[in-house]
Amino acid sequence: MTKPATAQLRVFRHSDFGFLSSFVIRHSTTWLILAWLCAWSVARADDVSTAFDQANRLYEQGKFTEAAAAYEKMFRQGQASPALYFNLGNAFFKAGQVGRAVLNYRLAERLAPRDPDVRANLKFARSSVATGATPAPSWWQRWTSRLRLDEWTLLTSGALWIWLGLLTLGQWRPALRKSLSGYTATTGVGAVLLALCLGLETYNRFAVKSVIVSAREVVVRYGPWDESPNYFTVRDGMELSVLDSKGGWVQVTDRAKRIGWLRREQVLFVPSSTGSS
Amino acid sequence: MNESATLLLKFEGGLPAEVPAAPNVPGLSIASIGQSSQFNFINGQSSSILSYNFLVRAAQPGDYTIPALSAMVDGKTLTSQPLKLRVLKSGAPTAESEIIGKNAFLKLVAAKNEVYLGEVLPLEIRLYARQGNLRQQPQLSQDGFTVGKMIQQPVTKTLINNQYYSLLIFKTFVIPVKTGRLLLGPATMLLAVPHPNARVSVFGEIVDWMDATLTADALTIEVNPLPTNNVPSDFNGAVGSYSLNLALSTNAVTVGDPITLTVQIGGNGPIESLTLSSLDTWRDFKVYPPITKVETTDQFGLGGTKTFEQAIIPENADTKELPPVSFSFFDPEQKSYRTVTHPATPIIVRPGPATPAQPTIVATPTPSANEPKPAADIVHIKSRLGTLARIRAPLIQQTWFVALQGLPLLAWLSVLLWRKREESLTNNLRLRRQRKVAEIIRGGRADLRRLAAANQAEEFFATTFRLLQEQLGERLDLPASAITEAVVEERLRPRGVEEETLTALEGIFQTCNQARYAQESSEQELAALAPKVESVLRQLQRLNLSNLNDE
Repeated sequence: MTKPATAQLRVFRHSDFGFLSSFVIRHSTTWLILAWLCAWSVARADDVSTAFDQANRLYEQGKFTEAAAAYEKMFRQGQASPALYFNLGNAFFKAGQVGRAVLNYRLAERLAPRDPDVRANLKFARSSVATGATPAPSWWQRWTSRLRLDEWTLLTSGALWIWLGLLTLGQWRPALRKSLSGYTATTGVGAVLLALCLGLETYNRFAVKSVIVSAREVVVRYGPWDESPNYFTVRDGMELSVLDSKGGWVQVTDRAKRIGWLRREQVLFVPSSTGSS
Repeated sequence: MNESATLLLKFEGGLPAEVPAAPNVPGLSIASIGQSSQFNFINGQSSSILSYNFLVRAAQPGDYTIPALSAMVDGKTLTSQPLKLRVLKSGAPTAESEIIGKNAFLKLVAAKNEVYLGEVLPLEIRLYARQGNLRQQPQLSQDGFTVGKMIQQPVTKTLINNQYYSLLIFKTFVIPVKTGRLLLGPATMLLAVPHPNARVSVFGEIVDWMDATLTADALTIEVNPLPTNNVPSDFNGAVGSYSLNLALSTNAVTVGDPITLTVQIGGNGPIESLTLSSLDTWRDFKVYPPITKVETTDQFGLGGTKTFEQAIIPENADTKELPPVSFSFFDPEQKSYRTVTHPATPIIVRPGPATPAQPTIVATPTPSANEPKPAADIVHIKSRLGTLARIRAPLIQQTWFVALQGLPLLAWLSVLLWRKREESLTNNLRLRRQRKVAEIIRGGRADLRRLAAANQAEEFFATTFRLLQEQLGERLDLPASAITEAVVEERLRPRGVEEETLTALEGIFQTCNQARYAQESSEQELAALAPKVESVLRQLQRLNLSNLNDE
């Protein structure tokens, strides 16, 4: 015979509050440390925000080079945001450094791929360089670039967990296997597709190395030495794909499939790490 | 006025008993500024001089008398003479300044007195001095002019009125920035000159110096405006005499590839300030801001070359030449504007490899109202910083994250293995029976010990028999109920089971039969039998009857 269901009502007595207050008192040091950490975090965030505002003021005064230096200084704290990369890109663009502008727009796009402002400025900066300066992205690159790499990772991970969780449940409770089969199959397919997208975006990030020309005009040579004949010329802001490197030289190819060598210090490498990617 | 004098109170051959107090003279401010001492050894005789110095300033022009000062030296009272001091108004010539003027003077000399607006006017500030030391560079009042670098020339000697003077020339230039009759100067210069009646040391060097400010009168310069007729359209204020050269990095390019255009403007004039007319009007070219470089040939920067390097990109394969480049300036020597031009430069522009052939435009389509206009500038900066995140490698490169993804896989594999094991057990009846019998035997052994301790013989032997049946039935894959003593002979012995085991087993069976039919056993007998039963059961458990042949 089963017991009837009962409801429980707890009356808080003074002793309960006494317990709470004594708990707080006993752990007052811990609370103080937590409160200090919170205040410190807020203060630090305020410092960064103030520095950002100051850099913005320099930009609005037309001091683009100083503004760029101020934005770059904020990166030394090891943190970044899409707005920070975006504004830095703007400052560089206005200061006439198109290559650095394109690099920072691309980094901003990594963190905020759906931000229309970032896309617009990147497009504008690329169009200010010579026509054909940027390798056209393939269809799958256009597709996978809609999400950040970490977003693809989390989606794939979530799908994987759900799929394996359903499989585990099916093994543990065979009776549920049939009713779960549809969901299992769907999540499995979803996990595979997401993993595929993740793989493509990872390939795009790490396997496809690209550089951006940062010098005003750079001569690309046939070979990796100064005596090698000139092949073609590239300009500030052009994006090239890296094929090889040797010492201080980098082998690149442009959209026209021309392959040549230029000096490492004349280009900017697109880093693999940004803020939360 | 605005000058100070020094009152010296010297004690020679003795020291005062106390420091003399500054005299109090109405209208004069007299303050002690310290003391100094001097030791002399002349012709074998030594002497020491102690001087007390007082700074004297006057608030009003006039004649003042500084009274005699007294001091006690070696018990005697010594008294100085009263002194008269005349304080003149500022600027009034003094005998002293006249003396200074004869020893040193300054002159301002311009190359000409009439120039055009923006024209370079060479200038000299000449210092004539018989004796003196420079205290600072000359200063020039230059309202309406910009002044160039001032460069000191080597000192020379010159004869003026039968007197030799050292001549020091400071060369510079000025450029008028407004028209009209302008005053250039005066020029002033601070010089250290010998004090009148200055003392001379034993080495012949002057001991007493004083600062003197020399002034050169201002010059009147007539600055004419530039002519307003026949002004070239690209004139942007350059005045001087210049030439133009042009060079290209290449004259054969692909559409979209850059050409570096190098324009050199050389000549005489303020080279650094020259600007080239904008090339933004060039059609079919994308033009970028130039990089400039200046090389001067003279120390003033008034002669040399300014180089403009800029990238231009042909956007059209039909482009055949670079337009002419010109530079206009006003030549003050010729009093007219001049334009130097580099003619159009032929170039070859090849179509780009990925560039489609230019279509023939029949009609310009009207842009649709729905089509967004191309952006004219970048989107403005963001005012909010947004959420900051630590700069780190992506999640997929983080070891802990990748390891975490192994958890669901591990869980699934574990459950899968467990399920397989369960299913294999379900399908393997023998294995299930084996495990069940093992459990029964475990429980049975405990029962035997309990029954033996309680001297419950009947239950003891019944349990013993049941356990033997279960174990033998499981080993022989026969129902437990079918197991009797006969199985020893019928099943076990033919399978080659050890004789010792068989003997022990037969003994237990017989004991069970005997107990069933009458014999009573004591607690000790039961207790002694229980381990034997357990031992036989263990031996039976270890029997692998599948490997033994059945006759």
